[in-house]
Amino acid sequence: MSDINFEKLRAIVGEANLLRDPADLYVYGSDSSVHEGMPQAVVRPMTVEQVQELLRYADGERIPVIPRGSGSGMCGQVVPVQGGIVLDMKGMNRILEINLQDGYCRVEPGVVDDDLNKALKPHGVFYPPTPASSMVATIGGELANNASGTRSVKYGAARDAILAMKVVLAGGELVSFGATTRVAASGYPLERLMVGSEGTLGVIVEAALRFVPIPRLRCLGIAMFNQLGEAGDAISDIMGSGCQPSMLELVDKIAITAANKAEKLGLPEVEAILLFEADGMAKETIDPEIEKFRAICERHNGFGFEFSYDEKERARIFAARSKLFPSLSKYDERLASTSLADDMAVPFSKMAETANKIHEIAERHGLVMTAYGHCGAGCMHTKILMDTEKGEHWEAAQRAVAEIYEYVRSVGGTTSAEHGIGLSKAAAFKREKASVLGLMRGIKKVFDPNNIMNPGKLMDGPEDWVGETHLRYQKS
Amino acid sequence: MGTMNKLEKWQGALNKCIRCGYCYEHCPIYKSTRWETDSPRGKLILLYGLLSGGVEPSEYVAGKLMECFHCGRCQKACSSGVPIQDVYQDARELLVKAGFDVPGTTSRTDTDVCALCLNCVRMCTHGARSFVDGRIVTDLLKCRSCGSCLDICPKQGVTIRRGFGTNPEELDREVAAFFADGRNPEAKAVVFSCGWSNYPGMQTASYEPDAMTAEYKVLVTVCSGRIRSETILSALDAGAWGVLVVSCPEEDCEHGGSPRVKARLEALMKPLAGIGVDPGRVQVVEVAQGNPKKFLEVTRAFMEDIRALGPLLKRSEA
Repeated sequence: MSDINFEKLRAIVGEANLLRDPADLYVYGSDSSVHEGMPQAVVRPMTVEQVQELLRYADGERIPVIPRGSGSGMCGQVVPVQGGIVLDMKGMNRILEINLQDGYCRVEPGVVDDDLNKALKPHGVFYPPTPASSMVATIGGELANNASGTRSVKYGAARDAILAMKVVLAGGELVSFGATTRVAASGYPLERLMVGSEGTLGVIVEAALRFVPIPRLRCLGIAMFNQLGEAGDAISDIMGSGCQPSMLELVDKIAITAANKAEKLGLPEVEAILLFEADGMAKETIDPEIEKFRAICERHNGFGFEFSYDEKERARIFAARSKLFPSLSKYDERLASTSLADDMAVPFSKMAETANKIHEIAERHGLVMTAYGHCGAGCMHTKILMDTEKGEHWEAAQRAVAEIYEYVRSVGGTTSAEHGIGLSKAAAFKREKASVLGLMRGIKKVFDPNNIMNPGKLMDGPEDWVGETHLRYQKS
Repeated sequence: MGTMNKLEKWQGALNKCIRCGYCYEHCPIYKSTRWETDSPRGKLILLYGLLSGGVEPSEYVAGKLMECFHCGRCQKACSSGVPIQDVYQDARELLVKAGFDVPGTTSRTDTDVCALCLNCVRMCTHGARSFVDGRIVTDLLKCRSCGSCLDICPKQGVTIRRGFGTNPEELDREVAAFFADGRNPEAKAVVFSCGWSNYPGMQTASYEPDAMTAEYKVLVTVCSGRIRSETILSALDAGAWGVLVVSCPEEDCEHGGSPRVKARLEALMKPLAGIGVDPGRVQVVEVAQGNPKKFLEVTRAFMEDIRALGPLLKRSEA
């Protein structure tokens, strides 16, 4: 890799869009993961042409390029492990078109999810993948990681919303993938290949996304269980019954305790809570869904049912889930909430077993771990709460992560549901995808012959994510 | 690094920060530059670097830490409960003690211009300004960057070097751009919103269609007391049908700005009423912190008033 020619970068993006002070570089070495790195430069391109010029230069000099949105990823996707140039894509944040007639919108990658939905709302439509971080997450980042959220059970993930995109390839060439039509039958769906590629194939500079009508009504229900297994059985029955929830969330006892402790919610400390939402244009279509949910939960000894269409009541019922994220950080003064084994997907029938397995592994390793997630989509999340200054906690965490993903693979699950792979899940990902790693590397080689696009991630990520990467924490 | 050892007591708090970035959208400085280093999370990462040795103390780092409007929104929004303001304040103290005399968003007095009237010393509600050795000095650790001293100075001898869009001259430019020929054909009004009260809250109100309106532009000022009569007149002259100033309730305003802007605009509107300008075209309304709903209600009500009054000037006159 050559030294960075700052004059060249300045000539491309201008002085105002170039950072090189060590303090700035240090900040841009982090995201929401446990890892950190150090780039040589940060640039903020404002146009497609600037992205092209930057990539032409970087490719010629074999300098790594790391496209970055808001840096809210949890697995180290944008951590510059091999240095290089971070492209802060937030400068390209225009909503280019809202085409109601043809049912798509076109945006630049730096548009924040909530801003897009603010713009869509007056037209009665919304972009549905929306992760919990939608107030900061950019569309480019969501596409690169195939983000999804609580309503993905009905509306799908980012990959389901993409219609077409423009991408700058490693050599600077601008290419168009997909079509804005609703169907496009033939050839390789390269726009979908880009989704989930974590910046390893090229830089997304424009995306055409589909949107859906905002439902007139939403009804949220809650049910409680004294056995996690019974909640798990209810989940598979709900999903197997032809029910169409717009949200189906599982919250376990540790999460409930954490929410009660940190936020004083006063929730009954049962083994599990299920949250079920149905939406639509008429009560006549929603009520039967809610009734079905209640009947199935009752069959599995669920109790404490509540349902509401009212917005404020729904917010109250949903507090057990919405307050969970902050609660975990406040669970114990000595323990930090780390994004490790943070997400996975398992078959519906294995949700409860997975939650139990997570608890069992955590206990065995002296760690605190919760289990929650968008179970209607088979998505399970956890966090490891640990003393990050203790080396033995890191060793325990590393063993726990390996065991959890070994279990996930054994039941036919997959390493990431929606948070991506980056660095901290690369080892598990490589085991899961062992038979196709060569194909993946081959695809990357075609897109990026000189391996400048976010190198060292996904299939090229570290085996030992503690020993081979620089951790943001100082451990003893 | 040695000078930053005292930050060690915050090591646990810095570990607690999960770097989710949820503080971003609450920070007026980040909203202005969109650089990560200007965000609350970015600054916490800098402090982490100072502790770990990943970042060396420097004028640049000190400047980043001194750039803050002290609205406290980041701390309220922090999902991990990190006492961000306290951590920053300790870091600033250490950096100042280490000799980094960097103003950031604090005010500075031009001694060549200063008339030594001491108005700014008397009116500073934070005790940040004092008369020492024949000149006015600012205590970097006490100044809350409200800009009241700039507003009160009869000689325009006080400055805040970087306003991040909130200095009067920057607001004037934004107003002019909003009403510039043909750029926003629907433009009717400007809403000045105190950065301490409601605006950051409104920014984070999800799915709010009014935020996308083409009829008015919301501009953030730090302390409504800094809104100048000239800015109001410029807006009306540029073509605004009216101007709304949204301030903190007087009892909540730490900087004495709310009563000041009310008195100023009352004084402004008297002669304007004399030449036929309806006083309803320039209004001051109080909205408490974190009440985006009220903000939208008062803005909608104001826009209704303005629409009923119609344009003040014909387009050709504007």
